Amino acid sequence: MLIVVCIKQVPDTTQVQIDPVTNTLVREGIPFIANPYDTHALEEALRLKDQFGMRVVAVSMGPPNAEATLRKALAVGADEAILLSDRVFGGADTLATSNVLSAAIKKLNEQEEVGLVLCGKQTIDGDTAQVGPGIATRNGYSQLTLVDRVDQVDLAGKKIRVRRKLEGRHEIVEAPMPAMLTVVRELNRPRYPTVPLRLESEDREVKVWNNEALKLDVNSIGLKGSPTWVSRIFSPEREKGEIVGDGLHDPKGTSRLLIEKLLSKDLLPV
Amino acid sequence: MTVEKKPVKKPRGKARLIEGRCIACGARCESSCPVNIISMNDAGEPVINAEKCIGCVKCVKVCPAQAIDMFFTPEEQQLLDELMKTADAALEEDDPEAAALASKLAQYRNVWVFIEQTEGEPARVSWELLGKGRELADALGVELIAVVFGEKVENLCHESFAYGADKAYLVDAPVFRFYRTEVYLKALCQLIETHKPEIILMGATGLGRDLAGAVATVVGTGLTADCTGLGIDDKRNLMQTRPAFGGNIMATIMCDKFRPQMATVRPHVMTLPERREGASGEIVPISCPIDEKDILTKVLEVINDKKGKDHVDVAGAEFIVSGGRGMMGPANFALLKELADELGGVVGASRSAVDAGWMPHDRQVGQTGKTVRPKIYIACGISGAIQHLVGMQDSDLIIAINRDKEAPIFEVAHYGIVGDLFQVVPELVLGIRELKQQ
Amino acid sequence: MTPNFIIYAPLLAVSLLFFSWSCYKRFALIAVGQPENRFEQLDQRIMGVLTYALGQKRVMARSFGLNHAVIFWAFLVLLLANGEFLISGLFPALNLALLPGPIHHLLQFAFDAVSLLALAGVVLAAGRRLFFAPDYMETSYTSAKSAEAFLILGSIALLMLAYFGLHGAMIAMGKESATYMPVSGLASTLLAAVPAENLQALVSFFWWLHALVLLLFINYLPHSKHMHILTAIPNCFFKSLEKPNTQPREEFVKGGRFGAGSVDQLAWKDLLDGFSCTECGRCQSVCPAAITGKPLNPRQVVHDIKINLLKGSLEQDSYVPGQPLIGTGEGSVSEDAIWSCTTCGACMAACPVLIEQMPKVVKMRRHLVQMKSQFPEELLNLFENMEGRSNPWGIAPTDRTKWYATMDVKPFDADTTEYLLYVGCAGSFDSRQKHVTVALAHILDAAGISWGILGKEELCCGDSLRRLGNEFVFDKLAKQNVALFNEKRITKVITQCPHCFTTLKNDYRQYGLELEVIHHSELIDSLLTSGKLKLNHQVKELGKIAFHDSCYLGRHNDVYDPPRNVIAAATGSAPQEFERNHENSFCCGAGGGRMWMEEQLGSRINLNRIEEALAGKPDTLCVSCPYCLTMFADGIKDLQADQIQVKDIAEVVAEGLRPVNQ
Ligand SMILES: Cc1cc2nc3c(=O)[nH]c(=O)nc-3n(C[C@H](O)[C@H](O)[C@H](O)COP(=O)(O)OP(=O)(O)OC[C@H]3O[C@@H](n4cnc5c(N)ncnc54)[C@H](O)[C@@H]3O)c2cc1C
Ligand SMILES: Cc1cc2nc3c(=O)[nH]c(=O)nc-3n(C[C@H](O)[C@H](O)[C@H](O)COP(=O)(O)OP(=O)(O)OC[C@H]3O[C@@H](n4cnc5c(N)ncnc54)[C@H](O)[C@@H]3O)c2cc1C
Ligand code: SF4
Ligand code: SF4
Ligand code: SF4
Ligand code: SF4
Repeated sequence: MLIVVCIKQVPDTTQVQIDPVTNTLVREGIPFIANPYDTHALEEALRLKDQFGMRVVAVSMGPPNAEATLRKALAVGADEAILLSDRVFGGADTLATSNVLSAAIKKLNEQEEVGLVLCGKQTIDGDTAQVGPGIATRNGYSQLTLVDRVDQVDLAGKKIRVRRKLEGRHEIVEAPMPAMLTVVRELNRPRYPTVPLRLESEDREVKVWNNEALKLDVNSIGLKGSPTWVSRIFSPEREKGEIVGDGLHDPKGTSRLLIEKLLSKDLLPV
Repeated sequence: MTVEKKPVKKPRGKARLIEGRCIACGARCESSCPVNIISMNDAGEPVINAEKCIGCVKCVKVCPAQAIDMFFTPEEQQLLDELMKTADAALEEDDPEAAALASKLAQYRNVWVFIEQTEGEPARVSWELLGKGRELADALGVELIAVVFGEKVENLCHESFAYGADKAYLVDAPVFRFYRTEVYLKALCQLIETHKPEIILMGATGLGRDLAGAVATVVGTGLTADCTGLGIDDKRNLMQTRPAFGGNIMATIMCDKFRPQMATVRPHVMTLPERREGASGEIVPISCPIDEKDILTKVLEVINDKKGKDHVDVAGAEFIVSGGRGMMGPANFALLKELADELGGVVGASRSAVDAGWMPHDRQVGQTGKTVRPKIYIACGISGAIQHLVGMQDSDLIIAINRDKEAPIFEVAHYGIVGDLFQVVPELVLGIRELKQQ
Repeated sequence: MTPNFIIYAPLLAVSLLFFSWSCYKRFALIAVGQPENRFEQLDQRIMGVLTYALGQKRVMARSFGLNHAVIFWAFLVLLLANGEFLISGLFPALNLALLPGPIHHLLQFAFDAVSLLALAGVVLAAGRRLFFAPDYMETSYTSAKSAEAFLILGSIALLMLAYFGLHGAMIAMGKESATYMPVSGLASTLLAAVPAENLQALVSFFWWLHALVLLLFINYLPHSKHMHILTAIPNCFFKSLEKPNTQPREEFVKGGRFGAGSVDQLAWKDLLDGFSCTECGRCQSVCPAAITGKPLNPRQVVHDIKINLLKGSLEQDSYVPGQPLIGTGEGSVSEDAIWSCTTCGACMAACPVLIEQMPKVVKMRRHLVQMKSQFPEELLNLFENMEGRSNPWGIAPTDRTKWYATMDVKPFDADTTEYLLYVGCAGSFDSRQKHVTVALAHILDAAGISWGILGKEELCCGDSLRRLGNEFVFDKLAKQNVALFNEKRITKVITQCPHCFTTLKNDYRQYGLELEVIHHSELIDSLLTSGKLKLNHQVKELGKIAFHDSCYLGRHNDVYDPPRNVIAAATGSAPQEFERNHENSFCCGAGGGRMWMEEQLGSRINLNRIEEALAGKPDTLCVSCPYCLTMFADGIKDLQADQIQVKDIAEVVAEGLRPVNQ
């Protein structure tokens, strides 16, 4: 049985800065990394592999250089890596992205039964959290988002029980497999690759599938298959640090002032 | 006035990348180019083979970052300027395709807001959305409709009217008691198919994002995530503004060729509308033939985080009030606990406070403790050593209370109060309590 | 006097055979270690033997060391005496009397006197073990009062007594003259009461006593810690010529094994070290981890390696380890022990036989990190931050320039700037250390130095990675750095961090990069001495200043005087010394990557050092390392000694640059 892990290569956005003069994104020298949530998804897959002996396939849709990210997945123990790369996949929104990913997963399913698909909760660039549900819906899998604990996997009964982390509450949910899970950081602590595995992964194959392999309608993928488009990008108003009031001499007034400020931005959970 | 008859060919120019603007959006330009002359480099930026450019401007239009413009040689530029002077304003061509699209889109009307509830308890964001939805509906001249799913939740329809809805679609059945993607998905898709809304808004909550992503996929329309701003443009299209790249940029997203236009909206961003007691509207009960037997997904247990408080998980908390050496002693942490309780959060600590034995190690935030990313982090009596900062600087909002105005914590704080925490914190608690009583 | 040839000859033969076999077994085991070249620069090696082995330099550094030196030198002299004894036992004609008279007489005198010295030494040693044993002689496996120790001391004493008995009786019988053997002569007077006819029996008795004890002693040696009698001299010969703070490179080829997870993955010298350990406990007595109650004890590490090696079996050419090197129980080193090391190097500086304890720990770390991915949780962030963002905290590299918001700082350019100021991660990101960077920048400007920085191109030096055993990532980082330095044609580098200092200076040399690396204390010292830097006033406002030697500046790189000179020049008086200073300085607790780990076991190392400082009641603690700065600042707060401030040496000097009227 296969576990498919979807990994997106993203720019390390914590290193992104806004040029104060031109007010544009400074991307110079910013490395690409695996989306951090996806490394937790991969880790969970590897743990299930250790426990049940399933095979782990890492899949990514992206430009040719996303191969580097998949190679890292091989270095921590993924059995196979597939890069979905084609000009016609480019410029995709989440609808088009999930189309390509779900097609690739279906294709994998033809070779070996897919039991689980693991995604990150969201990416740190697009930030939408929509691709996972897109895959689950297209492939008719159970959809379990925001998983922070996997309680039980019943391979024979094809059932999985997880805990989901929601606002102010947790839910224990049981669902039939195949299932698509999106995972949060609290789920686990990703392992660190050993050097022998790293060295070995250097010449393992990362398969590349283009649209000839997936045979998708070009109007349903990439830019053409994307109902949303980004019309404009601008820099947010930077909130510079601000010293509120005079806390030394007027603690009461200052506290009220702070509460007002938080309220005006609707930041207080009351 | 004599117009020269010579047929001057309007120079089309060549596409060119403007240095430093590209955000590596994922090769939109490359895929838009009809003659395949754009390739992407390792940094994810386009390399345009300008010689072969046919000047179709597709890449320019598609680039979200306005990173590509058309370049003209000085001669061409001169020609253009002349043409500009002479040419009449170009007439909008009648595009048959556009007309067909317009009539298709016209079938969709009204603004819907999905009312989220857990065990009958509504999510506040739903009311915020009714406020925004009202604005949008008024701008479009359509109805604002609340969509209520659940078991025994008719009261939420009335509540929706109080917050501005004209009408409510009510799906009320035991199978809807707990949110399960499959069930809600089927019902909402059925509703969309029959009633064709032009806009659907949901809270960008765990539930909202789970459902919206599935619905948009089945309906085959665009979905914009986690919006912080919504507006209507001059063509009845929804302009959806949202942060991306970890909040480093804002993007305005359009979905102008598809309906419904779906968006999830970040909680606490839209203002809560005033509640109009006794406002009424039409409740449209909808029945969805879903049999519990067919639904294999079961919610076995819902754990309220506020109740099961024996295990405090600082790493996953949404509100954290942390204390440092400035707390002076273990007993004073009760003060922070009060504030944390008001916010529904937990108490964290700096290593100094942990070393002093005032707090257990599992509450330590920082380099050798937990890394936290709460919505609000309040640092009380913490100086802000780098070992502490690395554990909390990704918090959405940082508030620092410290009596030393030079303390490095103020460098990362969004709001700082220079003062004695023993005076400020109790005032904050009082202030929030008063607010709650209002 | 002729002993029974028939009995003695086979006895001697068997003894020698057994001894040779024992030695062979052990030396063959040493050969299972990994190859390592320890044969280059013979002149230096011979010097090493002369100073440390024959000269007993390290041994005598401790108060009781003279005693050992005396026994050792006596032993060397008596080697000759006992050689003669064993041979003349077989062939009575072959003896030292064949030598020219004066030489023979000199030797007779020497043997006699030296035997007395040895006897005294042995008695003193036994007395010390019995009545004044320092606690560092105890470990969980050995004790100062161990039977082995007394067995050895006892047999040496017996040998001496038998010697005097034998020669006393001979003199009494008139077969030898007391002229050149005063002590034996004294013994003969004691034997005066013995009837003449019994004297021959007495001679035989003492002779056999001497012979048996000697043969037993020889055969016991290889099986005891006194193997060091045989290995200590070679161990000094094969000492590391470089400072062993720099670990050897590893070659990352597929199918390789990295670090040491089993005893045969250590180098042969590491194994020789095991047999050379005298179990003196000096390393233990200075180890900050051991002192603060952590499970690491360098002496035990060395001992465990020996035990582990002996537990394995050597069949034909293949060695099968008897138990894992890393684990629990005697013969294995625990993971907690391995992660407790601060790589301070105190153990190596203390060891009389030049054993290299710390590199063994790093080799085991390498195994854990690189083969097993097993390390304290906190290090995961560190490793990923280092690899992804080239700094330990994972801060955006663009923030490296934030420290000079209010200053005009030039980028390094080989054509226009002379020195690179390598700011370092702490100097760039840590708000406290940023003040030091600014102070240093002001000093450089005031002295008219031409300098520049790499800004956001600067990478971490990788010190912590290397000491933590993540050689793979260190290797990548080092190569990037070396390429960057070469590309920018950088030759002179100023650092404000001893860890950057040692890494750029010593570690990168292994990558072919020769730099002139100057620690800021050295630079400021030379600027003050040459008069290029002039202070506006003598710094009195910091009160009494105590100076702490950072391990990586002092012990690892022998920079002791420059910081002291700087303080003296800036304040007008020499700094106050900690009780443990210079080579004996005590770690702040942050080295070896400990800076990135929680200190859960035992007591805190920084507190130990601060308590030591408090004894001298200083007003200011002066450091020259960003890690020490953090450790001291934290320790002072923990001990509520807030009246003391911690300053970097650059800040002390910058204080003096301020105009007087301010
Ligand atoms: C500024 C900006 C704003 C955008 N806003 C929207 C928007 O509002 N709506 C919209 O539909 N699109 C939007 N997009 C496009 C969207 O980012 C891309 O479609 C992207 O390919 C997938 O979305 P995501 O990064 O948000 O992934 P998410 O849905 O957040 O990803 C969830 C998980 O899906 C998996 N996954 C996602 N992408 C891939 C991949 N390429 N390969 C393998 N696994 C993957 C990963 O496991 C990931 O953790 C935006 C793009 C930009 C640049
Ligand atoms: C290896 C190592 C790992 C470390 N890991 C961590 C870690 O994970 N997390 C961590 O937090 N630290 C860590 N540290 C410790 C770090 O270096 C700092 O010492 C620590 O963060 C300081 O804690 P503090 O801010 O509470 O105390 P202090 O630095 O003493 O600051 C106390 C602050 O309280 C203010 N104050 C005092 N009284 C009042 C009052 N009445 N009202 C308002 N303000 C007041 C003071 O102005 C001061 O700024 C680590 C250190 C080391 C060496
Ligand atoms: S203008 Fe048209 S032809 Fe030229 S690069 Fe852009 S898309 Fe390609
Ligand atoms: S479309 Fe614009 S932002 Fe996207 S890759 Fe091309 S130039 Fe960059
Ligand atoms: S290097 Fe320092 S901490 Fe490590 S074993 Fe030696 S003395 Fe102990
Ligand atoms: S390793 Fe060196 S210092 Fe330590 S006990 Fe052995 S001989 Fe003594």
